[in-house]
Amino acid sequence: MWLWFSKLGSPKWFYELSGKWLPWLIGPMALLLIVGIIWALLFVPPDYQQGNTIRIMYIHVPFASISLAFFPLMALAGTITLVWRMKLADIVAKTAAPLGAWFTALALASGSIWGSDIWGTWWIWDGRLTSMLLQFFLLIGVISLRSALEDAEAAAKACAVLSIVGCINVIVIKYSVDWWNTLHQPSSPFSLSNEAPNPPEVWIPLVIMIFAVYLFFAVSLILSMRNEILVRERRSEWVQQLVQAT
Amino acid sequence: MFDLIQFSSVGEFLNMGGYAFNVWLVYALFAMFFSVNLTYPLIRKRQIVLEQKRRLILNKEIVSQNEDNNEVDNLTFRVGEGT
Amino acid sequence: MSIKRTTTLKAFQATLRRDLLIAYKRKNEVVNPFMFFLIVATLFPIGISPEPDRLSEIAAGVLWISTLLASLLAMDSLYRADYEDGSLEQLLLAPHSLYFMVLAKNLAHWLISGLPVVLVSPLIGYMLSLPAESFGTLFVTLLLGTPVLSLLGSIGVALTVGLGSRGLILAVITLPMSVPVLIAGTMAVQQTLNGASLAGYLAIMGAMLLASISLAPLASAAALRISVN
Repeated sequence: MWLWFSKLGSPKWFYELSGKWLPWLIGPMALLLIVGIIWALLFVPPDYQQGNTIRIMYIHVPFASISLAFFPLMALAGTITLVWRMKLADIVAKTAAPLGAWFTALALASGSIWGSDIWGTWWIWDGRLTSMLLQFFLLIGVISLRSALEDAEAAAKACAVLSIVGCINVIVIKYSVDWWNTLHQPSSPFSLSNEAPNPPEVWIPLVIMIFAVYLFFAVSLILSMRNEILVRERRSEWVQQLVQAT
Repeated sequence: MFDLIQFSSVGEFLNMGGYAFNVWLVYALFAMFFSVNLTYPLIRKRQIVLEQKRRLILNKEIVSQNEDNNEVDNLTFRVGEGT
Repeated sequence: MSIKRTTTLKAFQATLRRDLLIAYKRKNEVVNPFMFFLIVATLFPIGISPEPDRLSEIAAGVLWISTLLASLLAMDSLYRADYEDGSLEQLLLAPHSLYFMVLAKNLAHWLISGLPVVLVSPLIGYMLSLPAESFGTLFVTLLLGTPVLSLLGSIGVALTVGLGSRGLILAVITLPMSVPVLIAGTMAVQQTLNGASLAGYLAIMGAMLLASISLAPLASAAALRISVN
């Protein structure tokens, strides 16, 4: 059991394997992105209420949906760090936090730009916007805690605890803020407006974009994880060989 | 297929039915984020590798100059350490 | 090395008594957050408007935010002195469940910093022209909410106790986490003004309190073990 985990968590193993995976992730990502963006910009019919601003949805919704995954991901990685001390889990947690802050920021930005058309204002204290903003603050909290603690192992464990607490908290915040003030439309890719379900030509490109952005997230996470591995393992033989070979 | 395109001219496409600024702003933000997020790790990787290379060379020189200086111990890269 | 072992209950009581005694001897740690609360609450009428009509609308929010800031300020003293003189390490080495020790420390801390604020809140509410019918609600929600703030803050303090400059990080970690309490508390007061039933809000606050009593000390204990080693 322990051996299997330590192999799975071995940075070297991941570095080699992810090098093989990357082309297989980047290819579909590029393909889906090109198809999705061209479809969204050229072929999607304008919404009868929102007109061409509907095209913003194809960026906003994928980013918003993946932003919700960051705290559960970091909490999972944190649990693995605390329980099994797997090195790779902490690398995931460390690189996911800044990425999460960026993805959340972009979801917020695209959402408020979209809102400036459909709601007539850049910002409203609506439930989903507010909870997204608070999630952004919590992510900043995790990042600053990580950078403040000098000892890498203590930082890993402290951030793991904070991520788990933060994950529970994000859920509670989400419910309480929704309860506090709800203006945002229900999030379903299939029914944008409340009355009628959207036709396939609207939601198929959205699903394509969601998959494309998920792949994009996977690629950026793996790329920064690989860098983190190189830095952490700089004293090991395989990294030194790799450095000399380049 | 091309008759399904929602715009009749390039100008109309760029205008986005009057919402040009907002729609293109979001897509520009996405393009920026996308390219930065993919190029930055590659630049960073090059930096890391260069820095490591420099350290290895520096280290070899120091080790060859004074073999049994205790201070050097911190600089040497022992095999298996740090894993 | 004594063979006789104390029970967890006794250790709980001893920790509680010790912390209260220390607070009694160092009075300014008790008084400062309390004064901070009063001053912040005073700044709002000056900064916004002295008119009773406008003040009464925001009074509940002002009181809650002042309480939140005061509890944040008070949090810093929760583990720091113990961390610096090494008694925190003793606590971790003690044979008792750290959960109850943390709970005792949090209870002591709430009695020192949270309770005075709750007790004085009707007075400040009166000064901010809070409508008379919501005094009771405000008092009860603060009574249920301030322990939650202490328990959540304790996690943040435990994570940052080893850091030199922790003030800002503590705020970034703790304040977003306190949002649900703030929402439930202010909405309950709003609800009284509308004349609606309070039961749901009080039930939610009670649930938050129970959940944080049972879970937050676990996280604090884990965080303390990480920070001290």
